[in-house]
Amino acid sequence: MGSLSGSLNIALQALLVEQGAIETTSNNIANVNTPGYSRQRADLVETPPVQFGSVTLGTGVKLADVTSLRDSILDLRVNQETQQQGQLGAFISSGQQIQGLFNETAGTGLQAPLTAFFNSLSQLSTNPSDLNVRQSVITAAQNLTRAFNQTSNNLSTLQRNVDLSVTQSVNQINALTSQIALVNAQVASATAVGQNPGPFIDQRQQLITQLSNLVDVSQIDAGKGSLTLTTNSGVPLVVGGQGFQLTTQPDPVTGLQHIFSQGTDVTAKIAAGQLAGQLQIRDQEISSLQSSLDALASNLANSVNTQHQAGFDLNGAAGGNLFNPPPAGGVGAASSLTIAITDPTKIAASGGPAPGSPGDNANANALLALQNQTIVAGKTPLNYYSGLVFKIGNDLSTAQTNQQSGSLVLQQIQNLQGGVSGVDINEEAANLIRYQNAYQASARIASMIDTLLQTTINMVQ
Amino acid sequence: MSIRINPNILPDLLLSLAQSKQNASTATQQLATGRSVNQLSDNPSAAATLVGNHDQAGQDGQFLQNINSLNTKFQVADSTLSNVVQVLTRAISIGTEGANGTLSAADRQAIAGEVQGLLSQLVGLANTAYQGTFLFAGTAVTTQPFTLDTTTNAVTYNGNTGVTSVQLSNGNSINTNVPGSQLFLNGAGNAFGALQNLNSALLSGNGIGAAVSQLGTALSQISTQRVFYGNALNQVNLSENFLNQDKVNLSTQENALVGVDPAKAASDLVQAQTANQATLSATGRILSLPTLLDFLK
Repeated sequence: MGSLSGSLNIALQALLVEQGAIETTSNNIANVNTPGYSRQRADLVETPPVQFGSVTLGTGVKLADVTSLRDSILDLRVNQETQQQGQLGAFISSGQQIQGLFNETAGTGLQAPLTAFFNSLSQLSTNPSDLNVRQSVITAAQNLTRAFNQTSNNLSTLQRNVDLSVTQSVNQINALTSQIALVNAQVASATAVGQNPGPFIDQRQQLITQLSNLVDVSQIDAGKGSLTLTTNSGVPLVVGGQGFQLTTQPDPVTGLQHIFSQGTDVTAKIAAGQLAGQLQIRDQEISSLQSSLDALASNLANSVNTQHQAGFDLNGAAGGNLFNPPPAGGVGAASSLTIAITDPTKIAASGGPAPGSPGDNANANALLALQNQTIVAGKTPLNYYSGLVFKIGNDLSTAQTNQQSGSLVLQQIQNLQGGVSGVDINEEAANLIRYQNAYQASARIASMIDTLLQTTINMVQ
Repeated sequence: MSIRINPNILPDLLLSLAQSKQNASTATQQLATGRSVNQLSDNPSAAATLVGNHDQAGQDGQFLQNINSLNTKFQVADSTLSNVVQVLTRAISIGTEGANGTLSAADRQAIAGEVQGLLSQLVGLANTAYQGTFLFAGTAVTTQPFTLDTTTNAVTYNGNTGVTSVQLSNGNSINTNVPGSQLFLNGAGNAFGALQNLNSALLSGNGIGAAVSQLGTALSQISTQRVFYGNALNQVNLSENFLNQDKVNLSTQENALVGVDPAKAASDLVQAQTANQATLSATGRILSLPTLLDFLK
């Protein structure tokens, strides 16, 4: 049968349990603003009953565990969306700088110098013997070469800046993977001894989200609370308590940093996160723009040179090159384009060799006609350029649209996550009242049993 | 059990604040610049079309400049030829006078003297230059096309027969000159030759009538050639009208592509500001809502 001391034990134990529950509540309220914190719940369970003949008596309550409330699927989704956001964010930030170089809506870009160059030839055709008009052809050609040089050099500068960011991202990734490896080990050891690993998991989750912003992360449950992190293509990042560092080495040709893991070049395998966005800008967007500019510059220069050589200058001599010939294949043509003549009499406006016909404009007309000829990859120079402008704008605007819709998705998932893990002050306050009442009641029982014991003792006197 | 909602509503509020601020800033930028496309990414295809539009407008501007200079050149050439016609008409009229048999040799000599004067006047007209280039020298524009040998009265052509053409607008070219040899030394009517003949006929007293009729042929030849400049002036004026219209069209197109509707932008701005204020006031209220803790004693 039951005993007073048994009841006292139950009451005392209840006091301790409610105290634990109040402490959990207090901890929740304390961490209401802590990023990554998952609210904790005191798990109260009945202790096993005792049997007295046919009577079963309860033995009170115990604090079985304190669990952190989280939904690991939502955590994964947050990480996935964060990877997309990181990649798009990096792409957009550099893409905006690129489109600034070609902002035709504000009149910056290559259209104005291209049009001006052909306009100078148009003017030449009306007055081919005038030295001032000839000089203005040279000036316009020079302006065009400078515009090509500047645009190409600005793109290269941008590419080098992005390259620096690549190194920084790799350093940040390494710092995070080391931290995650440490916390990962703590989760494993806490799990092993039966402690609540929740706080460590919170911390680890927070770090993995940060890592997701930088690079694509794939999680594999390695058992016993431990996680293995790799990129989507399997490049190891964290295994158990060990972080795998990424290293960078400059490419011997381009000087741009390549990313290595365990001695293997993994640059092309980075699929998401800020690092992927930076690589995309550096290795695809800027590179493709540079080759397009090179194609435009070299095809234009070659066609103009060929036509110029077909004409005759003011002295009746055969025309030479107007532009210094671009490198064969066109690589680097835009950055190195220069004008070959500075003497206005050397402009080959005339179609015939007779030195006495300075008014002959046949070749000036032929040079002008190049404007409407498909001399650059099957397009006129200007159409080729406007295609380039479209691509720059379109790549960026697509990324911006994706980022906007992605950020709404992320926000939604984070709300769902907050629904599971976020601390609600009202809820905690209500719990506090419940635990406080239970505590007070248990204390009252203890004091009542004290009275009963007194009565029993007094009975013996 | 109902779904537990995220107790932390701050990120939602901040997001909507950021959005209304972004909308306000976009509308302000549109109002300030008068353009709905300020970056390529705002509307890539409009931006790409704009490149072609600006190029065409630039070309039109150059064509108009070309036309302006051609117009003056053609006018100078046309009025020169009109003077030539006057010179020849005068020569025909005094030649007819000289053909009158009652005139004395001295009278004819006096008339021959005037014809001589008309000849040098004609050479002067045929050597007319515009902005430093000779109009009737073919493409040898820096060489004086006609020289008069004062002893033999022979006129030599030093120019060539080159004809130049210039684009008035895309794909539309026009010839810009008639070589001097074709105008003044034409086989079908040689103005210099006819004047020379008249001069010698007056001096000798023989063949004056034939020389006058030669002059008539030369005059009609000049008038025929002059039609070229009249046509050219017409064509230049037509092209000028076309180009000016094209510029208007291009600027209309530009406005349609990237222009902004001020009324819409202004109402967008007001809407964004209202949304921003509403969110701010909601945020203020929600953040200062009492919690259960406030009611615990």
